[in-house]
Amino acid sequence: MEKKQVIIAIGREYGSGGHAIAEKLAERFELPFYDHNLLDEIANEKNIDVNNLQKYDEVPRNRLFSRTVKGYSNSPEEVIANMQFDFLRQKAEAGNSFVVVGRCAETILKDYKGLISIFILGDMDKKKARVAEIYNMSETAAESKIMRHDKKRKSYHNYYCEGKWGDSRNYDLTINSSKMGIEGTKDILEEYIKGRMETFD
Amino acid sequence: MAAQILAVGIFLLMFVLIVMDKIERHIVTLLCGSATFIFVFGLCMRSMNAITETLNLRNIFTVGFWYEAGQSAENGSGINWATIIFIAGMMIMVEGMARAGFFRWLCLAIAKAVNYQVVPIFVTFMIMSGILAMFIDSITVILFLAAVTIELARVLKFNPVPVILAEVFCANLGGSATMCGDPPNIIIGTSLGYSFGDFISNTGVMAGISMIFIVIYFYFCFRGELRKSTVAASNGEKVSYPDPKDAITNKKDFVLSCIIFLCAVVMLVTHAQTGLTVAFIGTFIGIITLLAAGKDALTLIKKVDYKTLLFFIGLFMVVGGLELTGILEVIASFIGKISNGNVLLMVAIIMFLSAFASAFVDNIPFAATMIPVIQSLAITENASLDILAWALSMGTDVGGSATPIGASANVVGTSVAAKEGYPIGWGQYCKTAVPATLIVLVISMVCIVVRYF
Repeated sequence: MEKKQVIIAIGREYGSGGHAIAEKLAERFELPFYDHNLLDEIANEKNIDVNNLQKYDEVPRNRLFSRTVKGYSNSPEEVIANMQFDFLRQKAEAGNSFVVVGRCAETILKDYKGLISIFILGDMDKKKARVAEIYNMSETAAESKIMRHDKKRKSYHNYYCEGKWGDSRNYDLTINSSKMGIEGTKDILEEYIKGRMETFD
Repeated sequence: MAAQILAVGIFLLMFVLIVMDKIERHIVTLLCGSATFIFVFGLCMRSMNAITETLNLRNIFTVGFWYEAGQSAENGSGINWATIIFIAGMMIMVEGMARAGFFRWLCLAIAKAVNYQVVPIFVTFMIMSGILAMFIDSITVILFLAAVTIELARVLKFNPVPVILAEVFCANLGGSATMCGDPPNIIIGTSLGYSFGDFISNTGVMAGISMIFIVIYFYFCFRGELRKSTVAASNGEKVSYPDPKDAITNKKDFVLSCIIFLCAVVMLVTHAQTGLTVAFIGTFIGIITLLAAGKDALTLIKKVDYKTLLFFIGLFMVVGGLELTGILEVIASFIGKISNGNVLLMVAIIMFLSAFASAFVDNIPFAATMIPVIQSLAITENASLDILAWALSMGTDVGGSATPIGASANVVGTSVAAKEGYPIGWGQYCKTAVPATLIVLVISMVCIVVRYF
């Protein structure tokens, strides 16, 4: 029997462990995993230096310093976001299955039957502790890092999508990773994804 | 007083909404234009006359709109239909040329003529960008030039960013040289009754002199980068160069589009002698292109950027509100006061103020607003309208080159580069463009002082 397409799109709060969970799910289901490495693939395809693109990855467009003329935008952030959206659409259109983190995938790919969209959040104290440990910084510094990154992600997402970032109505499932930890959350999501895959006809 | 405050409020709201870029700009200007008609002319002034004067439709049905022995200005204030009709006609012509492969052919033919050498390509593409932009809108020029530059960069292994930055700058500079090169010039020309010859012998001279300095300037800015490319390009392996002939999609269409383009150039250059107005030339060229396209005429019409035309209509309605409420005269008298009757200072203020504003906001609304201001200055302060017009033209056209959002060509050029994997941020753009803009403004100012004072 032909394998059904499954696309797991995971949005996440900074420090919630969403990225790590997504990576584990990709391993578990043996699917390609796309995060910032999307740009490596795009750079390879276009035969350009990926370093030129990286600093604009998942960065919101600056409204005051951007202008659009006949559909052309001077904002590198916007152009690179659209490159990534096109890349994801092409992969989905080709029938590929994959796991993707962020990049508005839950909205960009919403027309594909095989899409399972998940948003992973966390309690601030747990997120602070995690970020402080990973980056070896104080909890105060970790908190401001979290706020800064989440503000960026929210503004990036909400510019391209109608549904708001992290709004439960925008995803199939939202889950707080602080309650059961990264492994526990991964296990629950794995079960949920298996269940969903059975419903794909 | 209420009408004045309201007109200014609507105008500022329009600018803010254009800058915010959330609503398409033609919808912004049309909504603000309608608000001007309803609230300023209707509720505050209760003047049906103001509405008909701003709509300016009667003007289209006069002989002088199409044919004028000698130079004449567009009658009255309000919507400048000559500009809109001319731009629409040129849009159709440019679509026809692009479809036939003219621009790609020209770029590749020049690259071939200079034996695909990086530095000569850099210099000739800058000059070609300037010359094409004298007659064709800069967006189209950059769209094709940037695409071919990137294609050649891949084959010849050079960094296309310096070349694109230089091309964008030269397109804006070339546009300032003629009456039809840049929308502010078309508006200035039709509103104040200047001919193609007037522009070429004034702003054209300034742009020509500036061009020499700018080519040298950009060469010195990017020579290190270009030298690296030359080394990479001469690294042995055999490369297959794109052939200009492949760019031509249809020989018949190609020849016809070349002939139509030449006709347009000849008609524009000689319009002061023939008496044909730009509205006539735009209509004629548009119709000829459609006839030549035959059954594809509908496709060409569909490709016309009607949003830009609607943007112009809405814009003129809003500016009409400012004009008829007398607020622009207040601005003019303010400039007159701070310059204390010193015409040179007035010219400097107009040029540098226009340049600064155009670097950040759309230069078209700015130019349209400033025309009545300089008209009023010429009357009240006894300044030469011509000098003020050339200062306004150079300021608005060249000022837009300073930042990535100052002019349409900059936006399109940086966008095409980013789409191909060469993003250009504000820092990288402004590093070379701001000094280049200042060089041109200083040269223009010196030209004005030497020639007119």
